[in-house]
Amino acid sequence: MARSMLLISRQAPWAGPAAREALDLALAGGAFDLPLSLLFLDDGVLQLTSGQQPQQLQQKDLGANLQALPLFGIEQLYASQRSLTERGLQHAELGLPVQRLDDDEVRQLLASHDLLVTL
Amino acid sequence: MQFVIALFAASHQPSARRALRFAEAALAGGHQINRLFFYQDAVSIANNSQVQAQDEFDLPAAWREFIERHQLDAVVCIAAALRRGLLDSQEAQRYGRPAATLASGYCLSGLGQLHEAAQQADRLVCFGGD
Amino acid sequence: MTTLHILSTSPFADQRLASCLRLLSPGDGLLLCGDAVYALNPDCAPRQALELMPEQIALYALQEDLDARGLHDWPARLQVVDYPAFVALTLDYARSNSWL
Repeated sequence: MARSMLLISRQAPWAGPAAREALDLALAGGAFDLPLSLLFLDDGVLQLTSGQQPQQLQQKDLGANLQALPLFGIEQLYASQRSLTERGLQHAELGLPVQRLDDDEVRQLLASHDLLVTL
Repeated sequence: MQFVIALFAASHQPSARRALRFAEAALAGGHQINRLFFYQDAVSIANNSQVQAQDEFDLPAAWREFIERHQLDAVVCIAAALRRGLLDSQEAQRYGRPAATLASGYCLSGLGQLHEAAQQADRLVCFGGD
Repeated sequence: MTTLHILSTSPFADQRLASCLRLLSPGDGLLLCGDAVYALNPDCAPRQALELMPEQIALYALQEDLDARGLHDWPARLQVVDYPAFVALTLDYARSNSWL
C-alpha cells in the first residue's frame, strides 16, 4: 500500500518561490496517485485569501495551482484555525475549500501520515 | 535500513553540511541511501561553478566526492535547477546558454523522483534552513 | 505513530519553535540543531518552554552545534547526540518532520 504524505506549507505566497515549490511537490505526488494531504500552517494560510492580484508583482497565479489540487486527486486540504485567527482571517472567505483544524486536530493529522514534509 | 535524504537549502547554509554529515553517518552505520534529492535552493550544491576561498571548507566539493565514492543516486529537481541557473549540457544547449553548470555525479529529473524514492525507503529525512 | 521534530532556526527569529511546541504529541521527540540550540540559552523564554514540555516528549540537541556556540549549561532532560545517534533517532521514531 502506498505511504501517505502530509505536506505542510508554511510560507507566505509572494515571499519567493517557496510556496509555489511546496505546491509543485504536492501536485507531483498527486500525479502519481499517491495519498497526499496538504496543511496550510503559519504564514502558509496567507496563500488562501481571495482577491489576490499576483500580476501586480509579475507573478504567476498561485491560486490557479491551488484550484488544480482536486484535479490531481488532492482533496485532503486543511488549514490551521489558529494560524488563520492569528492573522485576522477567521472570518475571511478563502479561495480554496479547506477544513479548518484546531491544534488537537492538527496533531492527529500529523500522527496519521507516514511521511511529513514541512516547507 | 534504507534512507532517502532530501535537501532544500543552499550550499552555504549550515543544513547543507549537516545533511552531508548525516549521510556519512548513515552509511558508516551500515545503512543505505537510496537517493539524494536536491530541491529548492539546495540545487546550488550541485553547481560546478562555485569557487571557495582556499582556506574555506568546500562543501560542494565534499558532496561531489561523497557521491562519487559511494556511487549514490543524486537527483536535482529540474524545474528548481533551471530557475536557479543549474543546467546540464543538454539543457544548456536547449536554452542557448554558454555553459553547463551541473557538476558530474548529479542528474536532473522531476519531483516524482522524490516521491518514488520516499515510497520505497524506510525513512525520508529532510534538511533545510539554517 | 511518533514523530521526531527537527528544528534548526533561532527561536528568536521566527515562529517555528512556538508552532512546533503546540503540535507535539506524547511520545514525540524534539531535536535542536543549528541556531535552534540557542533555545537552550540560560534564563530565556524558549528554554523555559522546553523545560515545561510534558515528560513524555524527549529533548535532544546536536553536540557540534552546542559546542560551536559555547553552550554548556543544559537542562537535565536534554540528551546530547552526535551524528550516529541522530541517524539512530530517525529510526527510533516512525518519521521525522524537519521545520525547514
